[in-house]
Amino acid sequence: MTTNVVAHTAQHVAEAAGSGQNITHMMMLLVIQLAVIIIVAKVGGYLATRFLKMPSVLGELISGMIIGPYALGSKIILPDFGPLFIEHAGFAASAELYGIATLASIILLFLAGLETDLAAFLRYSVVGSVVGLGGLLTAFFVGDLTAVLWPSNGIHNVMDPAALFLGVISVATSVGITARILAEKRKMASPEGVTILAGAVFDDVFGIVALAIVMGMAKVSMDGGAVDWGGIGIIAAKAIGFFVVVTALGLTYARKITSAIKQFKSKEIMVAICFGLAMLLAGLAEMAGLAMIIGAYIMGLALSRTDLAHEIEENLEGVYNILVPIFFCVMGMMVDFSAMKPVLLFGAVYSLLAVFSKVLGCGLPAWAMRFNARGALRIGLGMLPRGEVALIVAGIGLAAGIIDQGIFGVAIMMTVITTMLAPPLLMKSFNGKSGLRKELAGSSEEVDSIDLEFPSHDITEFLLGRFVRALRHEEFYVNRLHTEQLIYQVRKDDIMFVLIEDGTTLRINAAVEHQPLVRLMLTEELLSLSDLLEATQKMEDLQSMGSGLLAGMFC
Amino acid sequence: MNLKKMLSKNSILPNLLAETKEAAIEELIDFLAENNSISDRDAALQAALNREAKMSTGMQNGIAIPHGKTDAVSELLVAIAIKPGGIDFDAMDGQPCTIFIMTLSPEHRVGPHIQFLAEISKLLGNKELREKLVAAGSAEEILHLLTD
Repeated sequence: MTTNVVAHTAQHVAEAAGSGQNITHMMMLLVIQLAVIIIVAKVGGYLATRFLKMPSVLGELISGMIIGPYALGSKIILPDFGPLFIEHAGFAASAELYGIATLASIILLFLAGLETDLAAFLRYSVVGSVVGLGGLLTAFFVGDLTAVLWPSNGIHNVMDPAALFLGVISVATSVGITARILAEKRKMASPEGVTILAGAVFDDVFGIVALAIVMGMAKVSMDGGAVDWGGIGIIAAKAIGFFVVVTALGLTYARKITSAIKQFKSKEIMVAICFGLAMLLAGLAEMAGLAMIIGAYIMGLALSRTDLAHEIEENLEGVYNILVPIFFCVMGMMVDFSAMKPVLLFGAVYSLLAVFSKVLGCGLPAWAMRFNARGALRIGLGMLPRGEVALIVAGIGLAAGIIDQGIFGVAIMMTVITTMLAPPLLMKSFNGKSGLRKELAGSSEEVDSIDLEFPSHDITEFLLGRFVRALRHEEFYVNRLHTEQLIYQVRKDDIMFVLIEDGTTLRINAAVEHQPLVRLMLTEELLSLSDLLEATQKMEDLQSMGSGLLAGMFC
Repeated sequence: MNLKKMLSKNSILPNLLAETKEAAIEELIDFLAENNSISDRDAALQAALNREAKMSTGMQNGIAIPHGKTDAVSELLVAIAIKPGGIDFDAMDGQPCTIFIMTLSPEHRVGPHIQFLAEISKLLGNKELREKLVAAGSAEEILHLLTD
């Protein structure tokens, strides 16, 4: 699946040899390119979050567009070496640079797998799965059909690999921005919030399976074979089989593997080996005719239930923070504005339909189950933003020569539009009454806030930490969400509530039905603080402890 | 949470004899010790009394939920007692308590300990059920009211 990149590498190496450049020069250029990309992407990401209140990925993408070979990149000339970024064989990045971006996409999906709440996936609400699946199928078919029905883009068959890719690109929801808005509006534990978050987990897993199937089908088509319905069945069975079997094997042996790795007794070594395993499975997935990111995701999923999961996440965070922006910036660099001109209208229609497909695909099942039109709209809008996975899939399609630069630009356009549209629409939709049907509204599913005000931020944070520990002690799953504000999602069977640290206030959003539990547990934690106070009083006088510590410093 | 799994006839004391708060807690601990394995009865009693000293577990509408954390038990132990005449338990609403839910949970072992209290508290929000429990008179009847 790396036709373009391979062709390009061969040409690039030949060029390098022909022009007398050696590998040191190639690496020097790479290092300078990376330096520019990292700095520009990070600044762009910062500006997007700080001033636009948008996810950093948006700023990173746009930075890439600005410094790419189709914009400023070709105008920045390095003395004796030519332009900083230049297009080679229709590809915006050199093979070396694309290699680093690929590594970043593996890390991204490995961590996404690690963070997947598999327990929730297996046990959580039926509504979540129906909403996730509804959105996935509608988005896929609408995306695929738009490509086929649009005149003059050369796609005539729903089985055309480019059509399949346009379908699968519009599938994966990126729920990060939705989570932030739900937290801001205090709706995380609302029936809509719970459904969106559960739906997003299903969306992730099913999205990866859908990509696996499409990769298999595209491969057959690219090799010149015809894909008939029987063939699809076999490919789908293979892809799902690979996913299910490898995930099951991974989950079964994850604990054994990690306990073997733990023999090294060094966190660094353990984390590095786990990452090595993720790359190994990524390579194997590609060998099996799927995509590398599928293997990386499965390895993450398998390790997500081991006690090493947290360590891996924590230790890879630094690498993630540096490499992943490079990936998004490189994706931005690949947007060829001149190739986009003829497909601009198609892009606008495709993006608009991508909005409707999720709103209807997720909203209708939600409406059919227990929400009214208002609630269904909220859920549809919450599932609207596409992000990281859409970009990775588009990048894979471009690198493999399945989609051209114009269609790639369309994919980027759709990601940007859906991500920018979601926040204002979602904010607005949450004004107003309950999203549940009349007969359910006012029931115990109604969510209310418990607010506790403390004299200082430190005490709030301290008590929140104790409360989280107590909840884990009661066998709850407590997940910290990736938001700037400190937010935890707490779950066990059908109980779900959210803990939010808001300055000096500790806020708990919980359904009325689950409030007795929260109140009892909070009371116990508050009382345990008095034990702590007593213990501090037993400590030696703090002043004399301090003077003991500082005595002799200035002798 | 399945209350049926946690409760049996042996966890129900239909007529509490004690007349004071401390005596009631002691009687409940002794009742628990009779039917379960508690490695150190005094430590268990002390744990419940210590918790009570921090803040009374007398709630509202005649309900009290004395509890303690102690490693003298290896799993969650539960006793439910009724005292139709009521005892002054320093309840939040100042009313005497008639229904007592006592739990002892191991200090260093994870489990849905408070969740049990929360579940049973939810049930006892029902006034009619509270009245039936106080009037029940036998362990069988109380068990039936709580689990069916």
